[in-house]
Amino acid sequence: MSSEYKVSSEASFVVRVADLHKRYGSEEVLKGVSFAVRQGEALAIIGPSGTGKSTLLRCINRLTEPDRGRIWLENTEITNAKTDINKIRQQIGFVFQDFNLFAHLTALDNVRLGLTKVKKLSLKEATERAMIELRRVGLAEQAQKYPAQLSGGQQQRVSIARALAMDPKLMLFDEPTSALDPELIGEVLHVMQDLADEGMTMIVVTHEMGFARSVCDEVIFMEKGVIVEQGPPEQIFTQPKQPRTQQFLSKISELYGRTSS
Amino acid sequence: MRSRVRWFVAVGLLALVVGMIGGVPQAQTQAFKVCSDIAWPPFEWVDARGQFVGFDLDVMRIVALLKGYRIDIQNLAFDSIIPAVVAGQCDIGASGFTITEERKRVVDFSDPYWESNQAVLVHAASGLNIITAFKAGQIIGAQRGTTGADWVEQNVIKQGINVTLRLYETYPLAEQDLINRRIHAVVEDEPAAKVAVKTSRGALKIAGMINTEELFGFLVRKGDPNRLLPRINDGMKEMKRKGIWNNLIEAYFGVDVNLDRVAQCYADLKGWLDRNQPEAYAENLAACMSGQTYRRP
Amino acid sequence: MQRLEKLELIWQSLPLLGEGVLVTMTLTISLLGVGLLLGIPVALGQAYGPRPVRLLMSSYERFFRAMPILVLLIVCFYGLGFWGIYVPAFGTAVVVFGLHSSAYQSQIFRGAIQAIKEGQLLAARALGMSRLQAIRYIVLPQALRLSLPGWSNEYSGVLKDTSFVFAIGVTELTRQGWQIAMRTREIFLVFITVAVIYLILTYLGTWLLERIERRLSVPGLAGQRREEHGRVI
Ligand SMILES: Nc1ncnc2c1ncn2[C@@H]1O[C@H](COP(=O)(O)OP(=O)(O)OP(=O)(O)O)[C@@H](O)[C@H]1O
Ligand SMILES: [Mg+2]
Repeated sequence: MSSEYKVSSEASFVVRVADLHKRYGSEEVLKGVSFAVRQGEALAIIGPSGTGKSTLLRCINRLTEPDRGRIWLENTEITNAKTDINKIRQQIGFVFQDFNLFAHLTALDNVRLGLTKVKKLSLKEATERAMIELRRVGLAEQAQKYPAQLSGGQQQRVSIARALAMDPKLMLFDEPTSALDPELIGEVLHVMQDLADEGMTMIVVTHEMGFARSVCDEVIFMEKGVIVEQGPPEQIFTQPKQPRTQQFLSKISELYGRTSS
Repeated sequence: MRSRVRWFVAVGLLALVVGMIGGVPQAQTQAFKVCSDIAWPPFEWVDARGQFVGFDLDVMRIVALLKGYRIDIQNLAFDSIIPAVVAGQCDIGASGFTITEERKRVVDFSDPYWESNQAVLVHAASGLNIITAFKAGQIIGAQRGTTGADWVEQNVIKQGINVTLRLYETYPLAEQDLINRRIHAVVEDEPAAKVAVKTSRGALKIAGMINTEELFGFLVRKGDPNRLLPRINDGMKEMKRKGIWNNLIEAYFGVDVNLDRVAQCYADLKGWLDRNQPEAYAENLAACMSGQTYRRP
Repeated sequence: MQRLEKLELIWQSLPLLGEGVLVTMTLTISLLGVGLLLGIPVALGQAYGPRPVRLLMSSYERFFRAMPILVLLIVCFYGLGFWGIYVPAFGTAVVVFGLHSSAYQSQIFRGAIQAIKEGQLLAARALGMSRLQAIRYIVLPQALRLSLPGWSNEYSGVLKDTSFVFAIGVTELTRQGWQIAMRTREIFLVFITVAVIYLILTYLGTWLLERIERRLSVPGLAGQRREEHGRVI
């Protein structure tokens, strides 16, 4: 694959990753990963467990420090030591598998906290903005509830609202539906689909092949720290070039029994 | 009187160690700090109104008057007083301290101001006397670490008389057991025993005395850096000359004295001290404490 | 007749015992405050500090937990006296007890910090919060709530410990009782009264802390934490 082409400095790329390496002890988790995501593009990353997908996502906002390689958000190099990483993170929404809602705060306060404390909005402005985002994910009525009083699907939607409220240039989703009961997955995917339709640039690590296929513009299949295959969903899902991709997809459809949503 | 050895040694050693690390005390202000464990009537106690009263404290107050210095009285745990004097937190220890060789190694004592003997307390209805109180098989109570406990050990048990010595943290607990007739006798300081007889409303009586001739003294830091001992000794002599001493003894140790009166008496009469008239104070205190008419300042 | 007199004795002792209660409670509350102010940074240092800070905080905590409170009191009070520094006894007591309590409180607090899921901090950082902001807005509010039950214990513990302060001449409740007992020789009566007062103080304090805990309680945190553990995060 042509990583040279992908990392070229083109204004329409929101994020570029070049030759990313990360090792934990003796285990090299990322072995030189490169790709780029265009403005408005939704990229799906699929691959077996332990392949380094979460690590890759966390490197992008430096929740994990990469060992080598460079990452840009638009024209700012994230991996540059001089970059104020807190400024960068404000512009990158992150949605965790386990939601990670602040346990002591209501849904509203979860969404509002970043606005008041990081973006320094007034309480009034922050509340207005937070309510817009909660409405967008269909949870305006639940604004005063605490995380423990919400279903998993609702919690994940609040966490999406929390990320969106910061007005991010890029959204990162790390298996956002993996911790959910099957009947709750749909509501979260629905919110994400709306988001993609609205033109949000996003990277989604997922096992929901249906979602990857119908919503995303590009799919990366990763295994053992390298990108095995990359292409538009039609190509990856119907005519994968690599035998490994083929094996993985057939195993997944056995496991999950569905590839369309 | 109270000489709880374990405690004293532990705290004293600690204070000395700290002292060796430490430096020299600073120059004192005019007022001297008198430290006393104010819970041992009739030498020092806190009356029903919360006033600090008692023989030791009055001697300290009057000596200060006669010698022209001021004192602040500080209520402090008995075991802490000698360490505090050594450390310079207290200038004088006035708390019925028995003069002992051990203590003399760390502090200096004034001339003795009191001779204390041990009383043998029994239940009034028991019919025991000073001989039968120590009959074999009986239980004798005393406060741990006191002269009384030591005396029973040395002169009864070591002489082969098979009594049980029951030790108490403080002698009022022993007195309580004696009133409840769980023990046969208590050996303790004579003045304390007299207080016990009075407060027991006839339940207890003194069967007899044991002469141990302990001497009480006031104590100051080793070397007496503030030159207090000559003033205290001189002041006490002056009190005796002027008749103050006898009146104080009458007031606190007299036969007709009711210690409960002290709250009223001290409140009424302390004005004499403020007026620098210790003679009038002592004379009227003696009268007031034994229920006679007295003159307020 | 006898009984009436005894009741009267207790009645008349109440003002003096009340003074003792005042001293005991002032000391208890101040020392808990000092302990809290020092205990939180110690716990944070232990949980989040760089290695030297962690080491320093751990040795601080271990030192003060190992020291008997009486030894500390005497060393500080009389030790300073040797240097010619005459500190008020009450102030010394507050500081010494406060240091001692901060070591224990830091442990309560550290336990609470460790009970907070790592994802909470990650989520805060992912929003662009600095480490300090994440601690201030996420860790502290959660850890303080989780600490409240532990504080109830600490409160009743130090309340009783304060009776040591007469070693440096602070007359608190137990000592007031002792003074009354020595005057009246009604040892049991007086100390039963004192015991009842301690019971009331303990009960009142824990009741108040429970109220605070309930007022601040959040579903899924504190009391309900254990049952809903798996569900919250
Ligand atoms: N903090 C860490 N310390 C040590 N090893 C780690 C750490 N985080 C991840 N790893 C290891 O790195 C490898 C990749 O982990 P990662 O979570 O990125 O995989 P993944 O592709 O997201 O898998 P999954 O689909 O199970 O989430 C795994 O073997 C994991 O054990
Ligand atoms: Mg993962």
